[in-house]
Amino acid sequence: MFDQIAAVTLINLRSIPQRALLSGATVFSIALVVMVLLGFLAMSNGFRQTMQGTGSTDVAVMLRTGSQTELNSGLSSEQVRLIEEAPGIARDAAGTPIVSGELYVIVDGLKRASQTEANLPLRGVGPAAQTLRQGFAIVEGRAYEPGTNELIVGEGIIREFSGFDLGQTVRLGSNEWVVVGVFSTGGTVFDSEIWTDLTVIQNLYQRGTGVQSIRARLTSPEAIEELSTYAENEPRLNLDIQNEVDYFAGQAGGTSDLIMILGVPLSIAMAIGALAGAWNAMYSSVDTRMREIATLRAIGFSGFAAAFGTMVESLVLAGLGGLIGAVAVFLLFNGVSASTLGSGFTQVVFSFAVTPMSVLVGVGLALMVGLLGGIIPAIRAATVPLLAVHRS
Amino acid sequence: MNDFTLIRKNLFRKKMRAGLLIFSIMIAFLIFGVLGAFYSVWTSGTSTAADNRLVTVNRINFTVSMPFAYWGRVEGVEGVTNVSHASWFGGYYQDPANFIQTFAVDPESYLAVYPELTMPDEQRAAFINTRDCLLVGADLATQYEWSVGDRIPLLSNIWQKQDGSASWDFEICAIFDAEDEKVPANYAIFQYDYYNEALAFNRDNIGWMVLTTADASLNESVGREIDALFANSPAETETSTEAAFNEAFIAQMGNVAMILLFVVGAAFMTILMIVGTTMVMAINERTKEIGVMKTLGFPAPRIFRMVLIESILLSLVGGLLGLGLASLLIAGSAAAIAGFLPGFSMPPSVMLIGVGLALALGFITGIIPAINAQRVTIVTALGKL
Repeated sequence: MFDQIAAVTLINLRSIPQRALLSGATVFSIALVVMVLLGFLAMSNGFRQTMQGTGSTDVAVMLRTGSQTELNSGLSSEQVRLIEEAPGIARDAAGTPIVSGELYVIVDGLKRASQTEANLPLRGVGPAAQTLRQGFAIVEGRAYEPGTNELIVGEGIIREFSGFDLGQTVRLGSNEWVVVGVFSTGGTVFDSEIWTDLTVIQNLYQRGTGVQSIRARLTSPEAIEELSTYAENEPRLNLDIQNEVDYFAGQAGGTSDLIMILGVPLSIAMAIGALAGAWNAMYSSVDTRMREIATLRAIGFSGFAAAFGTMVESLVLAGLGGLIGAVAVFLLFNGVSASTLGSGFTQVVFSFAVTPMSVLVGVGLALMVGLLGGIIPAIRAATVPLLAVHRS
Repeated sequence: MNDFTLIRKNLFRKKMRAGLLIFSIMIAFLIFGVLGAFYSVWTSGTSTAADNRLVTVNRINFTVSMPFAYWGRVEGVEGVTNVSHASWFGGYYQDPANFIQTFAVDPESYLAVYPELTMPDEQRAAFINTRDCLLVGADLATQYEWSVGDRIPLLSNIWQKQDGSASWDFEICAIFDAEDEKVPANYAIFQYDYYNEALAFNRDNIGWMVLTTADASLNESVGREIDALFANSPAETETSTEAAFNEAFIAQMGNVAMILLFVVGAAFMTILMIVGTTMVMAINERTKEIGVMKTLGFPAPRIFRMVLIESILLSLVGGLLGLGLASLLIAGSAAAIAGFLPGFSMPPSVMLIGVGLALALGFITGIIPAINAQRVTIVTALGKL
């Protein structure tokens, strides 16, 4: 029995080159389906990784109640002072609380790819801001001098937008700025930002002493409970408090889901199209070998062996297509930089990420197409009438 | 038996094969139709833009406000026929998830600048004269089942009143729609004064101005003059055509056109490969038959024509089925996504391009088999056993 299966399978596989054209078309079409699916997955994963890689559980983000995003929020300097004295807030070696009141103004940048204007956040931060971002480092140039019109820009900005190169003078509205440094936070959302001193932003853009958000280092991730209880009982504070990880996870959802809402139905529709193609190819395979299969059956091979050979052929073609598609997507898209409008109404720069999991999903889809495409032709092969031997 | 009957019989001689090919062509055209319509409607902001309408925003970014006094100064610029202003309200209804695009505007001039917004005369008058009137787009009214006379509160996720609340009470006194389906009717507007006087902060500022010029040829000079008015002030401006402004905003999402092109391209490559190779194979199988036809006196060009028509017919059947299915799908989902993508419908241009693509696909997949068939010589064909 196993000998039979092995023999028929080998005959099937060895005869693929005879049907090179149609087999090639099947492999190619399945590869394209997998490419489309993995392309969307890489986009969605890349965006999600950027958002979720941002933030740590021992940093609390505070916004005005109900404002949802920093842009809509507004807090007073009095509230910042109250938080500095609040329980659960960590202090540095000198005893200063690690708290940063922050404010951003959306400014225009020129997107390199499309040469159109796009929203970028110009964030005013306090001295503690750098220690509040894990992995923050100046990679080129130096930090800005507080109180001056100096800027530092994130790596993502340099990659996707023109006009912010080191040493360049940037005109934002009626104010001129000088780019003195480039910083990196290791691929997080903050790499898509431009930073300067908080008080300068407040003065130039008439924001008084107000801020939009407060970030603070907690003594431990659990200390957020303590801080929340304190804020609830303090009538001068009206805050939504979240740890930074939860905050960014909440902000990631929309865009990432939208990509998949578009990508999944498209991939499925294409897979169904390719299924018809695979089915067609396997049908032809059985058709052209009708006499051969009938002969095998006549000399005692079982129908099951004939069906099995056809199934294996179908799965091999589909699996090959899936692998080619996955490799192509990896070579073409992995690490490709892109940017889109994030929930803060500013551009978020991210890199396409082809993950091992998504490759498995892609190859799985390909095999599914092979399985479904091969099954009916396989049944046909199993039921070839012996008289077909005599077909001319 | 005429040629067409012969072509039809040839096409469906292997029903399974023809069915599968038509099915895969249909899927590709379904994808093309839906994405084509999506893209066309999504970018319709540039096609519904009036060519003499300009948008003036703060030079820093369009989210940054400018002084209310700018409005009066732009009115005096030569070549400007109407100018209005609007401010982003950040509205939501009951729950922050029920986000509603809401703008505080100057009612009379706003309707003058957007003449495509239509409503009964008495509603128009009510909107202009009622302080707490909310003018609601027809799609939005359908979505929340609002009708004229309803009183609703809208909350702002940005602004606060002096009394600390963020809720404004409105009476829905008018509902607007537009003749052209693509003109969005999924937002609401209300009187600027009603909003401004209650604000706790950022009073006497406006978000942006929108204006019409006497003639589109004046756009550039009017734009330059407006921006020159406010040069070197704390709030410099940037004036562009409505179309250019919308285009730039859409481009912020990323290169959607390229993504869609990639997907449609992949779908068409797939069917090109599958249909192309199958057609070559199908005609090869028929070599002997073609030999017989030639023996019977069918001239080569006639055979060439018949094979080519067979392949074009196959593409057309699949293509039209796909485009038809896409139209049905779009019609079925239009109401459900009206809030997100108003006026989702199948544009005739996408339909036409689709038919053109089907013809091209048929031609490309049919030309090689047709040439092969034409070249068949009787001796080799009949010698082939």
